[in-house]
Amino acid sequence: MNGAARYNRQIILPEIGDVGQYKLLKAKVLVIGAGGLGVAILPYLAAAGVGEIGIVDDDFIEISNLHRQVIYKSSAVGKGKATEAKAMISELNPQIKVNVFAEKLSGKNALSLFEKYDIIVDATDNISIKYLINDACLVTNKPMVYGSIFRFQGQVSVFNYQNGPTYRCLYPDENSNAANCEDAGVIGVSVGIIGMFQANEVLKIILGIGEVLSGKILVYNILNNEQQKYDFEKNSNLEIAKEDFERKYNATENQIEEIKMELLLDEIENNDVLFLDVRNEDELPKIKLKNSIQIPLMHLENEMKKLDSNKTIYVFCQSGIRSKIAVELLQKHQFKNIKSIAGGALAMKQLLKEDKLKLKI
Amino acid sequence: MIEVKYFGAVAEKTKCEFEKLSFSEELSLQKLLKDLNQKYEFESLTFSVAVNQKIVSKAADYTLQTSDIVALLPPFAGG
Repeated sequence: MNGAARYNRQIILPEIGDVGQYKLLKAKVLVIGAGGLGVAILPYLAAAGVGEIGIVDDDFIEISNLHRQVIYKSSAVGKGKATEAKAMISELNPQIKVNVFAEKLSGKNALSLFEKYDIIVDATDNISIKYLINDACLVTNKPMVYGSIFRFQGQVSVFNYQNGPTYRCLYPDENSNAANCEDAGVIGVSVGIIGMFQANEVLKIILGIGEVLSGKILVYNILNNEQQKYDFEKNSNLEIAKEDFERKYNATENQIEEIKMELLLDEIENNDVLFLDVRNEDELPKIKLKNSIQIPLMHLENEMKKLDSNKTIYVFCQSGIRSKIAVELLQKHQFKNIKSIAGGALAMKQLLKEDKLKLKI
Repeated sequence: MIEVKYFGAVAEKTKCEFEKLSFSEELSLQKLLKDLNQKYEFESLTFSVAVNQKIVSKAADYTLQTSDIVALLPPFAGG
C-alpha cells in the first residue's frame, strides 16, 4: 500500500497493523457539523487514513468561531465551513476522499446521506438535530458517535452501536432547551478534548479494538479533570421505524424562515406585527420596541396564549439559535406567520449603533 | 448521608457540583427529586438521573441507601 510510510507509526502498533490500516482505508465516516467538535475530529480521521469522509455543514465561518474552530484561517471568514474543512484535510492527506454537503441536515436528506456511510458523527450544537441524527441512525442502522459541551464540561457516547442503547434511551424527553456554545459560552480546548474523544471512538469502532462507549456516557470536566462514566440501558420502546421517521420529520418539518432585521425596520410601527424576544430578562442589550414582547424560551410553552396568532411574529434571541427553536415550537402550536431574526439581538445592536433602529423610550 | 452530583445547567441552578444530604427516615428517589426540585426550582430543565453510576428511570420506585451516589445529568447542546 502506498501509504506504508505515511501510516508507519500506527501500523507498527500490534492493535492496528496492515489489516487495521486497510480497515481504515475502507471506512466511510460522516461528520455532521464542522464547528468546534467537527474541526477537532476531522483532521485526526483524515490523518489516520479514514478512506472516505463526508462533511455536512451549511454554515459560514465567522470571526467569533476562530478561537475554537482552529483549522480555519482569519482570511477564510465569510467562507463556507464544509468547503474550507475539506480543503484543509485534503491537503493534510491527499490519499483520502472527502465529500462536502453544504446543506442543513433534515428529515429530507438524512436517510439517503447516512446510507452511504458506516459511522455517523454528531458534532452539532443543537438538541433537535441530535434527535434527528439519532432517529436516522436507528432507521439506517448506523452507530452514532455523540459529543456535546456545556461550558467546561463535555459528554461523549456511542449510540445504536450493534443495536445498543440510543440517545433517546439516555434522554427520552425531547422537549429540552439546553444552551449551545453561542448562548452559553465555550473555550476552544473543551470542544477540542471532547472532539478528540469522539475521533478515538470512531477509530476504535473501525479497528474493532478496545471498548466502545456503548451504553455508557462519559462526562468530562476540564476544570477539575474529573471524569465519570454512567451506564444506561436500551429501551426497546424507543425504536423508530422508517414510516415513523418519515411521518415525524417530513410532516412536521416546516421550514424555519430566517429574516434579516434590516428588512424589518418599517415593521416596528406595524400593529399587525409582533416582535418576540425569547431571551432571559437579564440579557443585554435590552431591546424594547413599540410592538415587542419578552417571553423567555423556557416559559414560551406555558405563556403562548399571550401571543396573537393572527399577527406576523418575528422572533429574536441573542444570536439567532434559540429563536429558531421558538419558531419550531410555535409552528407546532399552529402559529403560521412566524420568522426568526437572523443574528438576533447582536445583529440588532449593530443597527442601533448605526442609528437605523430606534428603541421605545 | 447520600451524595448528589450536579452537572451542566443543573449545577448552574444548584450553584454547587455536589452536596451531601443526611436523612433520618427512609428516603425514596422520588422524594429526593421532589425535595431538590422544590429547593432549586429546576422547572423546565431536563435531566436524567443516575444512582451509583447507572441511569435509572425517573419514575423508579427506589429506596435510597446510605452511601448511594445520585447524579443529575442534563443533555448538553454545545459543539
